[in-house]
Amino acid sequence: MGLTWKLALRNILRNKRRTTLTLLLISMTLAILIFTDGYMRAMSDVMVRSATRLYPGDGQIHHVDYLAERDGEKVISDVDGHLQRLQSTEQIASYSPRAMDFAMVSSSANNLAVQLVGIDPQLEAGVSKLESSLVQGEYLSSQGRSQQIMIGRPLAELLEVDLGDRLVVSVNNYEIDSVDQRLFRVSGIFQLNSKFYDEALIFVPLASAQEMMGIGSNVHEIAFNFVDESLSSDESLALWSELSGPQTIAEGWTTLMPDLATMIGLMDYSMLIVATILFVVAILGVINAMFMSIYERTYEFGVVLAIGTRRSSLFVLIMAEGLMLALISLVLGSILGAIAVEITGAVGIDYGNMDISGVALAEVLRPEITIGQFTELPFSVFVMTMVASLYPALHAARIVPAQALHKSL
Amino acid sequence: MKPVIETRELCRFYGAGDTLVKALDDVNIRIDPGEFTAIVGPSGSGKSTLLQQIGGLDIPNHGKVLLKDKPISEMSGKELSDFRRDHIGFIFQAYNLIPVLSAAENCEYIMLLQGIPAAERRERVLSMLAQVGLEGREDRLPGQLSGGQQQRVAVARAMVSQPDIILADEPTANLDSQTGMELLDMMHDLNRNEGMTFVFSTHDPKIMERASRLIYVEDGKVIREETRNG
Repeated sequence: MGLTWKLALRNILRNKRRTTLTLLLISMTLAILIFTDGYMRAMSDVMVRSATRLYPGDGQIHHVDYLAERDGEKVISDVDGHLQRLQSTEQIASYSPRAMDFAMVSSSANNLAVQLVGIDPQLEAGVSKLESSLVQGEYLSSQGRSQQIMIGRPLAELLEVDLGDRLVVSVNNYEIDSVDQRLFRVSGIFQLNSKFYDEALIFVPLASAQEMMGIGSNVHEIAFNFVDESLSSDESLALWSELSGPQTIAEGWTTLMPDLATMIGLMDYSMLIVATILFVVAILGVINAMFMSIYERTYEFGVVLAIGTRRSSLFVLIMAEGLMLALISLVLGSILGAIAVEITGAVGIDYGNMDISGVALAEVLRPEITIGQFTELPFSVFVMTMVASLYPALHAARIVPAQALHKSL
Repeated sequence: MKPVIETRELCRFYGAGDTLVKALDDVNIRIDPGEFTAIVGPSGSGKSTLLQQIGGLDIPNHGKVLLKDKPISEMSGKELSDFRRDHIGFIFQAYNLIPVLSAAENCEYIMLLQGIPAAERRERVLSMLAQVGLEGREDRLPGQLSGGQQQRVAVARAMVSQPDIILADEPTANLDSQTGMELLDMMHDLNRNEGMTFVFSTHDPKIMERASRLIYVEDGKVIREETRNG
């Protein structure tokens, strides 16, 4: 071992309490960063999954003007063609055509404005959580009675209806340009744990909705999910244009739910703020600890400079001490961070369907480990420690031997 | 004979105006090879400042210090570091060994800076430590040695790199009188046997008696010089 390394190692072992505290400061910074990153990623994934897989899907296809105008006549006419394309695309896991429009639902107790959605029950089960969120009654059946209707529990309470009760749904029929009114019987009550979906959506078989709306076999929306959900946020994917037709457009959740996309972006920003605060605190801590160590050794530095040590060698020595602290801290911090992520990942953090900006966190949050947490983050902490060592090292290298030794030589 | 050290019109002032302190005022001295010289004077007389100037640890306001005819005040920081490493040995009042290095490693430190091969370093260190009476204590850390033993290591460290001159600032000040005299005898022996030039500061009359030459300093000026039979 070279003299510099030998001296650096022995110097950092001189004041074990201070070295331990400094190591803990740096390693805890890294551990907190690793945990925060794992937590933020999990939070972001759960939020996106909760938002997309609850009902809307990873992506949707609409008539190019539908979302802007919400006009029921702006339909997808080549439904079969679109469905075939989706079926033959390997990256697509599931899809569901939907006919939808604003409607009025009436019970003997109340009248409410809602959105009527006609679905293919089997296909819808592959896209949304509608089937699994059923709390009473039965899920819609393709072969069942055309009078079946599913509503959310809060809506059922507002309408004061229960299973088997009658509801009258009024919706615009575009074929005859008049209102179509039909009687349904509540066949199922769901609870998606989203205030909007549970109070505003009512589901009937696709054919019933198409007939009421007078749109033939056309639909307003085709929702779909990817096999790899991470693809859904990739706006540069060629698939979006491949799934679009001459009059239709396929879009992912980042376009369909810009508020959510902004919020996810803000979470990345939050991570940056957390990292910056931690870095500033840790840098000040490391500078303070190293300065304490240097002030204690000012006389000693005066001696080694007097006997012929070059200033550059003293600078290198302090940087070597910083390097050793950094390397030990990186190992310690990575282990602590991995343990924290692993434990919380295994136990999970349950927010109990807490609603964040309209998105119910429907899953238990499980922080996850990524390669970046053990490459990029330790590298950042390493750079931070070396930067923090720079100032004390420069200070040590500028010590004037005569001043340092003023008590003696 | 060429002097090892020569100062010419050496001045070192601190402060300005009413608070001006003339730590050294027009000091002209000459130290020849093999001398065992004591710079004597009361506290605050300028002894330590003179040693700092001779050792190139401080820059004079006026005048020059010539070490083997080379003006050290004209050297760059790096040249001065190398010059001190190769030509000057220092012994400090408070021993000032590197606490994390053993006695042998402390002595080896300067030779490492000089780039001397490991085998030669080891041989010289062991021989030097034996000469100062520390055989068998080579691997002890400074904290495991007594004050007198630490100062012996400091002497060995100063001598092992074979400098042209050894500067010692009150080397016995922190030692009891018996240990101090033993150390001084040891330094004197090394001076006589190895021909090493020693310049040390003191205000202890017992120590002054051992010096072959005395330079009296008062208020920053050399007021008298005295040569004795060492």
